[in-house]
Amino acid sequence: PHVPQQTQATMSSIDFQDWVATWDFEEWLGQIDPYLWANLGVALTIGISVAGAAWGIYITGVSLLGAAVKCPRIRSKNLISIIFCEAVAIYGIIMAIVMNQKVEAPKDGGLSEKSYFSGFALLGAGLTTGLANLFCGLCVGVIGSSCALADAQNPTLFVKILIIEIFGSALGLFGVIIGIILAATAGFS
Amino acid sequence: MSSTGEATDAPAAFFGFMGATSALVFACLGAAYGTAKSGVGVAAMGVMRPELVMKSIIPVVMAGVIGIYGLIIAVIIGTKINVTGYSRFSGLAGLGAGLSVGLSGLAAGMAIGIVGDAGVRATAQQPKLFVGMILILIFAEALGLYGLIVALILGTK
Repeated sequence: PHVPQQTQATMSSIDFQDWVATWDFEEWLGQIDPYLWANLGVALTIGISVAGAAWGIYITGVSLLGAAVKCPRIRSKNLISIIFCEAVAIYGIIMAIVMNQKVEAPKDGGLSEKSYFSGFALLGAGLTTGLANLFCGLCVGVIGSSCALADAQNPTLFVKILIIEIFGSALGLFGVIIGIILAATAGFS
Repeated sequence: MSSTGEATDAPAAFFGFMGATSALVFACLGAAYGTAKSGVGVAAMGVMRPELVMKSIIPVVMAGVIGIYGLIIAVIIGTKINVTGYSRFSGLAGLGAGLSVGLSGLAAGMAIGIVGDAGVRATAQQPKLFVGMILILIFAEALGLYGLIVALILGTK
């Protein structure tokens, strides 16, 4: 009797190395244009930083306006807390302009390994700066609100709570430092 | 894996940069939470006991140190990334280092914030609790330090 030969490969006959090789990050990441990452990084820098600044400003502003109804003397001094939150947005726009200078149209050769590298660099820098500024803005906003309320009850507390705000605003500076380090490695040409 | 001189491939660069990013972002979130939560406690208790405010800034300083841990590892990882010669091994080690310091910094920062808030309010009413609050804060800070140690080991590969 004629025994038919096995023509289909079974799981046991596939090489493990070949199966592992089908999961390749390189091909998966290589299918996404690096200019998406680069422009997304620039957009996230300014967008998320401004969100953090706005959030902090409204948290402080609400408390400041409410407390100043009964205690109007606190109004001018506590605008410093609002300015600390605004500084976070300024970090964001400075970083976005610096990163924007790095994004250039591809030259004759098209995309290279360096293009993909620069795309990821700008994404990393953008996420770092944006999210660090978001958290910094929130932190400074919450402390600024407490500062206004404490100042309304005891004027000597203003400078002491301001020291805590300065610790909070250092976090935005950390984000800018790492953003500059990461964005400096990018170069599309 | 690339050796020195070959162009860095996409996954190595991607994971390296995500490592540096996660180191700073999560540690910053922990530090921000710690600073804000204990700062609110300090401002609240300072109304009744203004002379204790300078002593009560200790939780805020410890939360700031958590942010510095994240900054250190992000700088170490970020300066190692290069256009040529950055292997996939180094990239993935950088991701591990960044996540380790970031997530433990997040946890430590949250612990420092909650303990600092409760501690400064309690110290205002019972001065003997100051040393106890400091001891608890040191244990919480040690958690961030553990993450920094593991990240230093991973990040220098």
